[in-house]
Amino acid sequence: MEPLKPQIKEKILDAIPDANPEEIQEYERLLAERFTVDPDLATAPDALDAHDAREKRLEELHKKLFRK
Amino acid sequence: MPPSSVKKTIRSGDTSKQDPFTIIVVSNPALEAPWKSGTFVIDPITSAQAAFDACVNYIESSLFGTLPNQREQFIADPTIAPKIRLISLFITGLTPQPSCSLVAQDGASNLLVARRNVFLSVLAGYGLNVVDVAYAVSLSQSHTRASAWYTTDDDGKGGDTFTLKGGTFSHRYFNLIPGTVALHATSNSLTALHEFGHALSSYSNGSVVDLYVDSSSGLNNKAERPIPAQFDTYKGTSMASDSARDGLGYPASWVSYHCELLDPAFPAVMDNYWMAHDGIPEHCQHDRITREFLRDRLSAKISR
Repeated sequence: MEPLKPQIKEKILDAIPDANPEEIQEYERLLAERFTVDPDLATAPDALDAHDAREKRLEELHKKLFRK
Repeated sequence: MPPSSVKKTIRSGDTSKQDPFTIIVVSNPALEAPWKSGTFVIDPITSAQAAFDACVNYIESSLFGTLPNQREQFIADPTIAPKIRLISLFITGLTPQPSCSLVAQDGASNLLVARRNVFLSVLAGYGLNVVDVAYAVSLSQSHTRASAWYTTDDDGKGGDTFTLKGGTFSHRYFNLIPGTVALHATSNSLTALHEFGHALSSYSNGSVVDLYVDSSSGLNNKAERPIPAQFDTYKGTSMASDSARDGLGYPASWVSYHCELLDPAFPAVMDNYWMAHDGIPEHCQHDRITREFLRDRLSAKISR
């Protein structure tokens, strides 16, 4: 996954006063984590639960960090 | 517009082999927007052949080390570069539908995501039956960030065995699903090379993960504090840890650590290359274990 340019992180923090660098780190970590599991093999209940929790958190962070 | 296609051999690779190592760059016929929605629209790249061709040139430069100032040259090695086949395929005029959509727009980011299970059937339709790594190029108007899935190896076939501290693995000759990359036509710098690092690696025989987040463990990343002096032993050779993530530093909350850098002055290619201290990302090189692993994996596949 292509890394975020530092300028983009700065823009997010400037535009969203209640956002913090740790949330951007968490958002980036969760996005990157998606690709580390073979999507065709991640069908066990535990894997699906982890997938669902990750996607829910990603959606929350995306809404916060990229709100217009 | 009726369906049509233009296939070009950019590099012929090892013509003495029945299955030469092959990289395909293909224009994405249709975008799934958003990912997993079942809604498909024409990708604007299908009417922008000049942009696609420019992107093919860019990918070739990034991989083969010919970008201005580029220092990562491992694919340009004379024992490797001439053996790699590179083919471009520009497709236009297909009706947007699941069977021809190679790229999706992520709903929770501006990532382009490869629809990895569709690649082999689409490419086979154009006579491309040997695929090791495939780039699908998009001209999405909203999503510009690249991503990649690792290769799903065919572990039922042969390979060159190698050892890590964790056991014995294999640089497999063939795959069940090739490494797949979704890339925007305007991508630049080391992005194509960075994604190649992921895509060439393997879910079962060594995954090359992103180093700019506190990643889960992979070939090039481990988790422990304090950081041990030795990162791993690859093929019997001990490799040191990068104790300081030179140039960038490990955030205090991380437990990840990386392998020693070949040039401690610059981030690794799989790290945030945009943060090169001199503002020139092309000065970044792979860390030691990633460089050797990717080179060996390429060499194994080339030899098949």
